[in-house]
Amino acid sequence: MGKSIKLILILSVISLLSGAVLSLVYSITSPTMEAVALENQQKSIFEVLPGIESYREYKNDESMLIYEGLSKEGNVIGLAYVAEGAGFQGRIKLMIGMDIKSKRITEYKVLEHQETPGLGAKINEEGFKQQFSQKPWTEPFKVKDDIEAITGATISSRAVTELITKSLDEVLQIVGSDEQ
Amino acid sequence: MKAYKEFIKGLWDENPVFRMLMGMCPTLAVTNAAVNGLAMGIATAFVLFSSNIIVSLVKRLIPNEIRIPAYIIIIATFVTIADLFLAAYFPDIHKVLGLFIPLIVVNCIILGRVESFASKNNVLYSAIDAIGMGVGFTWALTLLGIIREIFGMGSIFGVTVMSSSFTKWVIFILPPGAFLTLGVMLWIINSLSKTKTSESHCH
Repeated sequence: MGKSIKLILILSVISLLSGAVLSLVYSITSPTMEAVALENQQKSIFEVLPGIESYREYKNDESMLIYEGLSKEGNVIGLAYVAEGAGFQGRIKLMIGMDIKSKRITEYKVLEHQETPGLGAKINEEGFKQQFSQKPWTEPFKVKDDIEAITGATISSRAVTELITKSLDEVLQIVGSDEQ
Repeated sequence: MKAYKEFIKGLWDENPVFRMLMGMCPTLAVTNAAVNGLAMGIATAFVLFSSNIIVSLVKRLIPNEIRIPAYIIIIATFVTIADLFLAAYFPDIHKVLGLFIPLIVVNCIILGRVESFASKNNVLYSAIDAIGMGVGFTWALTLLGIIREIFGMGSIFGVTVMSSSFTKWVIFILPPGAFLTLGVMLWIINSLSKTKTSESHCH
């Protein structure tokens, strides 16, 4: 009896020490991690909306994060929004750009993903991404018919495609209902 | 002299991948490109080095019955530290390896070295053992990554080396390619070493 209590105590001490070390490391690294994530997100607004000078938040609640991209004269020339959905493993987070004049997608940028390196991770590469640029907002598109899937990563390809079509509908509903 | 022997054994004679066949999960999973193999090897080497040192320092304080769970907690702590540091300071590498970093916890090289070496040797030798094994694991993973990347994508470390007419063997960057490459490498390395052993017996 005394022996097992000793064992329990020693393991608890080790776990406590480990927890203390980790919370220290986390408190050191978390500001940098958040800064990296935020910087990525802000930089990606400019990347998916080429030609904008600045941006402002259009909507920011639990369901959606939408930005308006402004031209030099202060006109809204595009929308950018954050879309999140399930991938092959873990979640995929995208920043998607919409051009208002042509009513087409400009492009998307991957903010976060956990897809397989070398396969699903190619959703972040030009060859796959460019297939979405210049797609009209309202015409639905599908893997196989309109989008060529990545070799060896059909699930990831389908996840991105479905995430974009679905989130596009949601954004159009939000923006459309506000205008009326 | 003993220190040198503890270092050099991990590179070839007791190479964790090619001779001991340990840590096969990351070996097969992340070596689809050279840079992934290299980064995975370095992250594993860091965890192995830190865990070996801590375990050899505290080995007398940990009762025999709970040594395995205690080692796992120590290893998991360093893996999480590596994960957090990569995420904060090397976000690009972290993005590529993502899922495989937490999986270092269950890499049997680390528990294997901690249990069979660090728990029986002093800090200096444990550190040297970890460096040798870490470098041995890293070069093995990088080599597999280079071979698979050449055949599968026609490049090394992302730099194209094959002409544009080269047909990429996509199978090499898919899971079967890992088994094929590792199998052929083991065959080559085993046949090399066998000749060496029989020769040394003759003299």
